[in-house]
Amino acid sequence: MKLSTKISLVTVVTLLLATGIFGAIVIYRTAVYSLEQTIENYEQQVRATSYALGQEMSDNELLTYSEATRKSFINYLLKKYGSNKYIMIKEGQIVCNLTDFELVEKDSGRWTSDDVTHVIQNLEGARILIMGRNIKVEPSGDYQLLMVSDISSMYEDIAKQALLFIGIYLAVALTAAMAVSVMVRRTLRPLKRLQRAAAGISRGELDRRVRVESRDELGMVGTAFNQMAEQVENQVRELEDVSERRKQLLGSLTHELKTPMTSIIGYSDTLLHVKISEDQQKKALVHINSECKRLERLSGKLMNLIGMYDNETVAMEYYPVQKLFKRVEVLEGYHLKEKGMYLVMSCSMGELLMDVDLMESLMVNLIDNAMKACKEGDTIDVIAVGNQIVVRDCGKGIPADEIPKITEAFYMVDKSRSKKAGGIGLGLALCKQIAYLHNARLQIESTEGVGTSIHVIFDDNSRGYEEQDQYK
Amino acid sequence: MQNRILVVEDDYSISELICMNLTVAGYEAVPVYEGDGVEKILEESRAFDLALLDVMLPGKDGFELMDVMKIHNVPVIYLTAKSDVGSKIKGLKSGAEDYIVKPFEVLELLVRVEKVLERTGKQRDIISVGEVEINLSEHQVLKNGVQVSLKPLEYDLLVLLAKNKNVAFTRDQLLNQVWGSDYLGETRTIDVHIGQIRKKLDLSDVIKTIPKIGYRLED
Repeated sequence: MKLSTKISLVTVVTLLLATGIFGAIVIYRTAVYSLEQTIENYEQQVRATSYALGQEMSDNELLTYSEATRKSFINYLLKKYGSNKYIMIKEGQIVCNLTDFELVEKDSGRWTSDDVTHVIQNLEGARILIMGRNIKVEPSGDYQLLMVSDISSMYEDIAKQALLFIGIYLAVALTAAMAVSVMVRRTLRPLKRLQRAAAGISRGELDRRVRVESRDELGMVGTAFNQMAEQVENQVRELEDVSERRKQLLGSLTHELKTPMTSIIGYSDTLLHVKISEDQQKKALVHINSECKRLERLSGKLMNLIGMYDNETVAMEYYPVQKLFKRVEVLEGYHLKEKGMYLVMSCSMGELLMDVDLMESLMVNLIDNAMKACKEGDTIDVIAVGNQIVVRDCGKGIPADEIPKITEAFYMVDKSRSKKAGGIGLGLALCKQIAYLHNARLQIESTEGVGTSIHVIFDDNSRGYEEQDQYK
Repeated sequence: MQNRILVVEDDYSISELICMNLTVAGYEAVPVYEGDGVEKILEESRAFDLALLDVMLPGKDGFELMDVMKIHNVPVIYLTAKSDVGSKIKGLKSGAEDYIVKPFEVLELLVRVEKVLERTGKQRDIISVGEVEINLSEHQVLKNGVQVSLKPLEYDLLVLLAKNKNVAFTRDQLLNQVWGSDYLGETRTIDVHIGQIRKKLDLSDVIKTIPKIGYRLED
């Protein structure tokens, strides 16, 4: 059963019971009261009449006359003081009966009490009140005066009143029930919305929220629900992002693997099946060899990258940037000399919280990239200043629309040329990941034909450069 | 006259691999390394009979080049590392004749090239092997100008080998190509037919037995 129905039902039933019982009691009390009133009225009448009759009849000599005289006298008296409601009995015999009724129980002696007694009889659907009293008459003995009255109309009135009450009661109850149901439903409407929103979210519509209109408990639930939905949405988006990136990485990886594989399989197949000249055979072998080396490089870099995605054992320590630069210079020295390029390093940074091996790898990658863009005789600047390390070359630059893409794994601006230069398109992706681990970000500025500078901007893990500033 | 094939492939090593094999098999291969240069070559040089197009290219990609190829009436075979059905359908729907997924085997490449040439009517009519001349349109084999009669299967076998000169076929491959894949006979059948061809055309030195592999017709 629905909650709104349940609440409405319970409320309405309680209300109806309460008001119903109350109403019934009131009606009952009213009925009893009006009956008592009626009886009292009649009692007074009977008392007054019997008293008057007593007075008239006492010591009246007419009573000593014949039966007929006596009867007509009493008849006269009854007509005088009462009306057609009275019956007079003496010793179980009806002396006079002015009513339309016939007295069945004549000699029961029940009316011999000096006080007024009464009984209500149900006669063919009519309510008959019979009231009687003893009249002492000296010297002729006791008479009993009975009054018979049809009080059905009073009962009918009560019944009418009860009926009216029930009618009003039902109408009011119906209205109340409807009002309660509407109100309950309105109060519970946020729950319905909440349920719909929750169902929507479970169907995958993660941007569903509920409208919070009130500040009651339901409103609070709504707010909490919205917060939860927000959190869930964010986390799901994040997960989707991560898995999407992984998928892309894997996709690019298979693609990157296929190219050297194609060469290796193709050339070895050629060597096996096709008659080619010795020269061509040698060429094929050279290709197989270089493609295998490429695969080897690829797997190495990939291991690094995957290692950094999953491994949390990055050894962070404070290390002087100056010393890091020295190490990088030593590492790159041979390469630079071979290509006839120059490396100019300047450092005004103190210590930096870093994993030395990873930072070294970052620097080497950036410098290697710069070297690929430069030609013989060019200079590459490496500057550490403020909270950033900058690697700047004056090579060919990167087209503006390619800049956002170059940190994606396997992305190469000039594919054929990069491959000839031995690139596999993972360097900057690696750098980005290393930077990320160091709370840093890469900022790439480049103008085609003028050069590129890549800034590694650290957020807040350096120390010591304030002191350096003081020397200036 | 040799069929001219345009090879558009940005990976230098793969491009050379394809060209090497096409050349050895008796085609003229012209390599182009990026999409942008293709139009120029098509306009300036002699007509091509076929183009092998890599899908992912610097400059214009393979799908974009399709229009250019259509203008110059060059049938296209796509060469690509993308093996998903979507890419295949896109490639074939855009009007390509065939679709080769990397990595591929040399024989697969050659057979597909040959089938496309056959289908588009750009196949060579006459193949010469030393003194022997095979006329494909007339189904005739001449040795020193004299017609030699070959059984149908012998003829098919000879044509297959001659079309893919210098490429070794395993016995299974030959069975598949000539007898069809549902043939249940023994691979020794091949040896008998090769023997017949060698005897009838005096090609013992030309059709070589390659140990552990099969046969190869060499120039």
